[in-house]
Amino acid sequence: MISIKNLQKSYKGITAVDIDTLEIHAGEIIGLVGNNGAGKTTFFRLLLDLIRANSGEILSKGNLVTITEEWKGYTAAYIDDGFLIDYFTPEEYFYFVGKLNQLSKGDVDDFLNNYEVFFDGAILKKGKYIRDFSKGNQFKIGIIAALLTNPELLILDEPFANLDPTSQLRLVDMIKKMASDHRMCIIVSSHDINHVSEVSSRILLMEKGKIIKDIAGGEAAYDEMVEYFKVK
Amino acid sequence: MTLSTFLAHQWHSFWRARNANKSLVLQIILGIFYLLVFLEIAGLGIFLPYLIKESMPGKDPVVVFCSYIIYYFLVGLLFRFQLQELPSLSIQPYLTQNIKRSSMLRFLNVRSLVHVINILPLFVFIPFSVDVILPAYGSIATICFLLSMLALVVNNHFLNMYIKRKSIVSSWWFFIIVIVIAVLKGFDYFKIIFFEKISDSVFIGLLHHPWLCSIPLALAIITFLINNNYLRSHLYIEELVSERKLKISKNYSFLDKYGDVGEMIALDLKLIFRNKRPKSLIILSGVILLYGFIFYPKYLETGNYNMLFLFALLITGLFISNYGQFLFAWQSSHFDGMMSYNINMKQYIRAKFLLFVTVCSLQFLIASFYGFMGWHILPIQLAAFLYSIGVNSFVTIYAATYNYKYLNLSKSANMNFQGIGALQWLQFLLISFGPVGVFYLLNKFVGFWAAIITISSLGIIGLALNEMIINWLVGQFNIRKHKILEGFRER
Repeated sequence: MISIKNLQKSYKGITAVDIDTLEIHAGEIIGLVGNNGAGKTTFFRLLLDLIRANSGEILSKGNLVTITEEWKGYTAAYIDDGFLIDYFTPEEYFYFVGKLNQLSKGDVDDFLNNYEVFFDGAILKKGKYIRDFSKGNQFKIGIIAALLTNPELLILDEPFANLDPTSQLRLVDMIKKMASDHRMCIIVSSHDINHVSEVSSRILLMEKGKIIKDIAGGEAAYDEMVEYFKVK
Repeated sequence: MTLSTFLAHQWHSFWRARNANKSLVLQIILGIFYLLVFLEIAGLGIFLPYLIKESMPGKDPVVVFCSYIIYYFLVGLLFRFQLQELPSLSIQPYLTQNIKRSSMLRFLNVRSLVHVINILPLFVFIPFSVDVILPAYGSIATICFLLSMLALVVNNHFLNMYIKRKSIVSSWWFFIIVIVIAVLKGFDYFKIIFFEKISDSVFIGLLHHPWLCSIPLALAIITFLINNNYLRSHLYIEELVSERKLKISKNYSFLDKYGDVGEMIALDLKLIFRNKRPKSLIILSGVILLYGFIFYPKYLETGNYNMLFLFALLITGLFISNYGQFLFAWQSSHFDGMMSYNINMKQYIRAKFLLFVTVCSLQFLIASFYGFMGWHILPIQLAAFLYSIGVNSFVTIYAATYNYKYLNLSKSANMNFQGIGALQWLQFLLISFGPVGVFYLLNKFVGFWAAIITISSLGIIGLALNEMIINWLVGQFNIRKHKILEGFRER
């Protein structure tokens, strides 16, 4: 799905991302962990060609993301509210994203029906623009809009951080289900080592731009992360 | 926490604001610009008596001045509706601190008073009073007169604040006051009731009986107290901000058949109508359409086709430079999204071009009614229109790829220079005076029709090559894409 070679990005001489080689396969759920400043968000932005790397390349299905645009057709992401069109109502935003991916209004409505529980009655038909919603609800809108297009590659930056506990647990289930049903490749960053070790099939631990651990998810990964993050 | 601490914080917030972070040259230019405006207004105060004497010989300047005061305050109220904003949100961080309510109230009141619209009139009233009223009526009358003017300014100020706070201000208020002014002026004009007479006798009376200044002073104090009491009982953020209406989802179904390009245009239209700053630009473009009434007759009469062309260019094409200078920056708050959605960049750029064409065609069609003033206007406007959409639109899109500054859509556009750099000024000069220069030279040395045909041809060539030019623009955009993204992320 994604293959990375010698990827480097630095700001004013300080390394933000420095990855020699990395292969990510379809059907994998990657949990990206690391303290603030480890380079997680920068890495995501590089994947989406939102910043220019100093050197190295990212291939998505064998094509360079910097040159081709095909990846936009099967990639969806939610990093922060910079992905939301804040003067739209949520419905308008969903229809807009749907339309860009050849989904009719009916398709979008059908899809949204499945997520009524996740929305908790707080999102649809509220008569508000996205800018007037709370941070948590904005996040829900962004996540659902990313899922809407049924992408092959899904990128979510700290999705658990802004959600209420119930929604966090629902999201864990949703991610697991999507990866198994559609063989979706999902990359999630998180500070919540509990959720991330439960949901991920593979965990990448970043420190100062480098991937220092590449381990399988599960109980053992949780213990290893606790060991790493322990205050020394 | 004292008032001075609050004001010191405001001082910081002013100077550390994003748009204060400009190049030194631009700051100096803006500084000179503001200085000129102030000097001009102060000059108006000084030269007003002479101007009145010259235009209305035999009349006492004081009487003329007084007869217009009532209009001044009514029109002032109009401007206040548009220009003044409630300074309520600035107290949000203080609400939970250990600060007495009364000192917060005092801050809100004093802070709101610091506004150009309250300060500028003093530059007229003070020189005028010292110049004309002082010698004729003595010092006590002058001081009382100035006090009453000041009181009326304060009265207007708090009246506007109160109306806005009660969130009863809507566009209707604006039109109601416009109608009131028109009716008053109409009564004067048709000599039914002389409001000007009433105005001058009231204020002249004030000069003869200085103690009457207690009435405007009392009025100011009353509006202040009403406003203050209202604030005291509503010092909650959600009550200080005007109430929100229910927003309705809308879709422009006529754009559906144009696929993704139509969707992009709908996006831009919603952006324009739902955000304060682009919306005021649209209103401005509408107002510009009326310029023809003011300028066309004069230049038609003198046969000055160069000036006609300049105004035709503004009337048919101002939207391009107004909206186009921030073409991508309008979307700066969600540009990360725009670049990762499934959007083809060529369609994205083409949608921008088609938006220009659509709006300009509309302006051109409406402006064609000016043809009734004289047939010369029609070919001139046609040439200006073709040039605008065929050349200026592409120049503007190109220039926009050099604009890396984040733009806040919710701030009002009046005197808002956020996101404007030297490039925007240069671009504006280029797309307005460039074609006018060409027109002038051809018109002077070859002839009227040569100028019209050349300018039109340039536009038509641009339109014919649009496919090629758009491809090139996409390339230019892609070269600077990451720089634009980086700039927009910096808020």
